[in-house]
Amino acid sequence: MEKGKKASPKQTFEEALKELEEIAAKLEAGELGLDDSIQEFEKATRLAAFCHSKLEEAERRIEILQKGGGEISAREVAVKSGTGEIEEDEEMQGSLL
Amino acid sequence: MEIDVQPQFITVTELNRLVKSELENCPYLNSIWVKGEIFNLTYHSSGHIYFTLKDDNAAVSAVFFRNYNKNMKFRLEDGMSVLVLGGLTVFEKRGSYQLNAVSVKPEGAGELQKRIEQLKKKLTAEGVFDPARKRPLPFLPKRLGIVTSPTGAALHDIIKVALRRYPNIEIVLAPAKVQGDDAPVSIVRAIKELNRPQWRIDVIIAGRGGGSFEDLMPFNEEAVVMAYYNSLVPIISAVGHQVDHPLCDDAADAYAPTPSAAAELAVPVKSDLEDEIKYITGRINTSLAASLDRVKARIDSALSRRVFRDPGEIINMREMAVSDLEFRMASSMKGLISAHKERLLRVPDICMLERHILMNKKHAFVLQLQAVEKLSPMAILKRGYTVVTGKDKKIIKSVEKIKAGDRVEIRFHDGFAAAEIDSVTKG
Repeated sequence: MEKGKKASPKQTFEEALKELEEIAAKLEAGELGLDDSIQEFEKATRLAAFCHSKLEEAERRIEILQKGGGEISAREVAVKSGTGEIEEDEEMQGSLL
Repeated sequence: MEIDVQPQFITVTELNRLVKSELENCPYLNSIWVKGEIFNLTYHSSGHIYFTLKDDNAAVSAVFFRNYNKNMKFRLEDGMSVLVLGGLTVFEKRGSYQLNAVSVKPEGAGELQKRIEQLKKKLTAEGVFDPARKRPLPFLPKRLGIVTSPTGAALHDIIKVALRRYPNIEIVLAPAKVQGDDAPVSIVRAIKELNRPQWRIDVIIAGRGGGSFEDLMPFNEEAVVMAYYNSLVPIISAVGHQVDHPLCDDAADAYAPTPSAAAELAVPVKSDLEDEIKYITGRINTSLAASLDRVKARIDSALSRRVFRDPGEIINMREMAVSDLEFRMASSMKGLISAHKERLLRVPDICMLERHILMNKKHAFVLQLQAVEKLSPMAILKRGYTVVTGKDKKIIKSVEKIKAGDRVEIRFHDGFAAAEIDSVTKG
């Protein structure tokens, strides 16, 4: 893989999606030579993979911040996904920051 | 001595009945706004609310029946200053009366409204609500921060909507008190906490579900509005309301009328994004396949041309081109020659032209000669002037040069005359 043509680590999902869209438009215009077309196609493949990896980056996790000994820490909690209710309401009472 | 005449009287029962009838049928007392402070408040299990309404000098019992109070947007409190709309009821048995409330308004609401307006004016002048400083929300937030009550429905709504749209999103709740006097401090602290880099929050939703005007007051407090304004992480205000926006809405980067709507603003639908990627890559595959087909078609058509099938053909073609060139050279030479010939034939005409020019020049010369002639002294004499000369034959130009008795000669254009001067007069 050439350097610089790789999706840079700072690239956002939005930028990658936009670039993907631009490649599609360029290829659809049919003005590129075969070599360039294939190069663009390879770039598109890398961008699509990058987008998919970005979508999967988050790890489904609900945390509640709480105070303990002057420090604020995060405690992971379970949630009923149907209602969005947290499954341990009692502990949360009075746990305001 | 006693006068045994009984005065006219009525019984207590009659008195109370009379008073009841008078008061309850008095149109003025039937429906009247009374201002006072709440005292001895009781929320009864039946749903009725009992209290005493008082001011500095007087008190009256009041009851607020369940049918009338069930739609109330706020909770009454002892010491609260209120306006009560109601009518009077008299209890005959005790000879007392009470106010039957049908509506209760917090008396301070007008004051609060005024305070909000003033704060709004001040913060507008400071640029806190400037739309130009609003940032776009992140396209794909990985970590969503929430500032709200840990026990309210707002939290459940946000989590539910967020997880439905983006099942693997990460959510961090900073629990805050969203109602009452200490709510502002709590909300400010929670917003600040979520701004700390260690939580890596991409977007914050801060707010609460709907409530009465008083319930939403913390979100009109200057400290809270400024916490929204100062949030480095893009922040969405989500305070449930029907009519008036709380001030924090205008200081936030975006706002929504309900917590659920805020979650929809903040969190994209993951499957939509996946579909979009699929759609674009599909288009790319299709057009690459099409351009491969085009290249293949070009190769095919090139291979099928006659040159490749019969190389002798190309020699024939070149020969034809050479003879075509020869023909074109010959005809262009012919053209050149006939053009020259035509020019030569035009020569006599040129002589005629020159002769004409000479004639014109001669005529002009004669005219000029005539003009010169007009200027000669003879021509002037012809027009009636004469020249006088003295004995020495010199032209006399002034009377100074002659005196009476001098002999002079007068010259005309056609002869001379001799003359003697009689007298001389100057000037």
